[in-house]
Amino acid sequence: MADGSHALLLDRGNLKRRNRVNRVVEIGSSIGAVIAVAVLVIVVGSVVLKGAGALSWHFLTTPSGLFGDTSGGMANALVGTLVIVAIAAAIAIPVGILVAIYTTEFASSRFAHPIGFVLDVLNGVPTIITGIFVYGLLVAGNKPSGFAGSVALAIVMLPIVARTAQEVLTLVPATLKEAAHALGIARWRTILRITVPTAAGGLITGSLLAVARAAGETAPLLLCNFIFAQGVLTDPGEGLASIPLFIFQSSESPSPEAHTQAWAAALVLIAFVLVLNVVARAFYARSRKRMGA
Amino acid sequence: MHNQNPTEATAMTEPNPEQQSRQEAGAPAPLAAAAEQPPAPRRDRDVGELELRGLRAFYGGNEAVKGIDLPFKANDVTAIIGPSGCGKSTMVRCINRMHEEIAGARAEGEVLLDGLDLYDSRIDIVAVRRAVGMVFQKPNPFPTMSVLDNVTAGLRLTGASRGEMDDRARQALVGAGLWEEVKNRLKSPGVGLSGGQQQRLCIARALAVEPEVLLMDEPCSALDPVATLKIEELIAELKQRVTIVIVTHNMQQAARVADTTVFMLDGELVEVGPTEKLFTTPDDDRTEQYVTGKFG
Amino acid sequence: MAVETRSQYREELERLEASALGGLDLVDAALGRTLEAIEHTDVELAQLVVADDDRIDGRYLEVHQALITLLATQSPVATDLRLISALLHVLKNIERMGDQCVNICKMIPLSGNEPPADEEMVRLILTMGKQTRTLLTQAQRAFSGRDVEMARDLVRQDDVVDNLNRECFRLALEIGDDADRREWAMTMLLAARAIERIGDNAVDIGEQVAYVVTGLFREFEDASHPGG
Repeated sequence: MADGSHALLLDRGNLKRRNRVNRVVEIGSSIGAVIAVAVLVIVVGSVVLKGAGALSWHFLTTPSGLFGDTSGGMANALVGTLVIVAIAAAIAIPVGILVAIYTTEFASSRFAHPIGFVLDVLNGVPTIITGIFVYGLLVAGNKPSGFAGSVALAIVMLPIVARTAQEVLTLVPATLKEAAHALGIARWRTILRITVPTAAGGLITGSLLAVARAAGETAPLLLCNFIFAQGVLTDPGEGLASIPLFIFQSSESPSPEAHTQAWAAALVLIAFVLVLNVVARAFYARSRKRMGA
Repeated sequence: MHNQNPTEATAMTEPNPEQQSRQEAGAPAPLAAAAEQPPAPRRDRDVGELELRGLRAFYGGNEAVKGIDLPFKANDVTAIIGPSGCGKSTMVRCINRMHEEIAGARAEGEVLLDGLDLYDSRIDIVAVRRAVGMVFQKPNPFPTMSVLDNVTAGLRLTGASRGEMDDRARQALVGAGLWEEVKNRLKSPGVGLSGGQQQRLCIARALAVEPEVLLMDEPCSALDPVATLKIEELIAELKQRVTIVIVTHNMQQAARVADTTVFMLDGELVEVGPTEKLFTTPDDDRTEQYVTGKFG
Repeated sequence: MAVETRSQYREELERLEASALGGLDLVDAALGRTLEAIEHTDVELAQLVVADDDRIDGRYLEVHQALITLLATQSPVATDLRLISALLHVLKNIERMGDQCVNICKMIPLSGNEPPADEEMVRLILTMGKQTRTLLTQAQRAFSGRDVEMARDLVRQDDVVDNLNRECFRLALEIGDDADRREWAMTMLLAARAIERIGDNAVDIGEQVAYVVTGLFREFEDASHPGG
């Protein structure tokens, strides 16, 4: 060993230092990961702890009482959110998917890139501004309505749906489209019967993620909707209650029961968002497996 | 199956592919609306004669195929060999007009199928692809479809009945040597088959639309040796139904399966002749150099 | 500057060709010794030739096996394939030529311990032998040089040997009534015949040259197609 033939392999003194640095970086990044996970756990945990108390079947099925009256529940908020988000989804999902189809199938890159950029910008627009815009468009001179809220949420959802759809449609192997063309299948049929079904998992993912986002957006609803709504209303022509506003309203109230109700509503919302995220991931994984990625 | 209806057959809308092929087989008379009677359809064994005249292909400003005149004998297997980048895949993709799908790509010259120029401006490009089928290097069955649906994918859009489609699918699967292996799992996903089976599925899919010519772009390069040999056996049988053009990197494969072999270099046709001649006594020195492995 | 492809294969093929053609040198040496043994009735030398034929047979087996291996492992085509086919034929020719020398040498003790009976016949045979040795050298050069014209010329050279053979035959007929002399003459005829066969084998090698170059196999001259 000491004859020098393996001299190159011997440690020249920086092995220990390298190992120390390795350990430090490893520990540092682990701490970062722990913090990130801890934050989510703390948030979800506190919501669960604080809101579980008020959560009950009565709470979920009874409409809220008048301001200050905590004997009611969040039924109308629940239904209102569902209605508003459903209408927003009905607008945003088809449009988003069509935009994605346009940019991946038909547009030359001269157009496709700018459109992608526009969507990204739209994604970054603060939702309060979207809210003001829709307020000016539909509410001013009119009245607040669930529909106006839906339009605002649709604008928020659109870039999410479109960008995810774009990503997933681009992942569809070109060989599949080639095979379809070589069979004499026309372009639109290829898109409809082959490209879109192959990407279906990812399209659903994008939609679910967009819905999860929209369910929790507060700012647009502040402007376009009623904060205070009584009774279970489902007519989108009128102002509807919604979960984020219910949380806002209840937390503004002086009574501690109302605060607990706010936490309970937050729990419902976060559960909804978490479930949607998990399901969306599952669909995405299935879609990627299908395409052999 | 379908009666030839003159007025329908001569319309420009997406017609029944069988009538379409018959039209092309029947006459130089175009697929445009015409007052004259279309000629009687013929479906004899000589259908499937292909000829390239002055074919040139471009990627933007780059000329990849530089003027090729090449006849293909009907119901023969013709292999195209040559080093990477010589233009063989490009040339073959001009035959079913897939080359022009690429942005900035174009082709000039004539591709004559039974005397009819496929590049004529009156030709329906979708119908071309029905008459000239293609099998690709990597097997690509549609992942969202079952075995049966894969085979009938090209048929489903013709308005044929379910029963007729299933019949054609069965014939195609038999023709592709796959029927016995999948007859009990027609509804299972197409992607669940092995690599060799998937490629035969793609062959069945191409055969189901009853093309006259089948183009194969290195169909075995992604397969193991046993699967490769099965497909080579298949090619020997298939040539009775279709004219086959196969691009291959594997010279031994060309020597095994092809009746005629074409050697291309730098976008030009160097030599064409019976396979045994090209591999025992080639005329051109460049062919000699290539097949003996002195370059490539 | 391209990287050479299949260089090991090509080197091996060249080596095998050299080895096969080297067999002709062995045959030439054997024939030389055979002629000397005839001239001096040297029984020991004749036995040496017989023993040495093992070397020619060994060469045949070794190169034959290597060529088969090359066929199996390298999938030769075109000129390479024709070359290998030709070399297999040439090897066989060489082996047969060696055997002819052995045949002659085996007879030498039989020609008796007395000096040869007819000077002229012996002279004829030695001339045949010398001419045949020229044929061997020419065949070797024609093959390694892929010279079809030189190969064709082998026919003409072989005609000389054939004529000398006919001369021997005529002489043998006139050798007389003596039983011993007649026996000796028959033996010499057989030897002449063997040398003539060596010449024919050399012409066969020339035909292989034409095959390698043109891909066509045509007999230059054959018992059934005299005149070439």
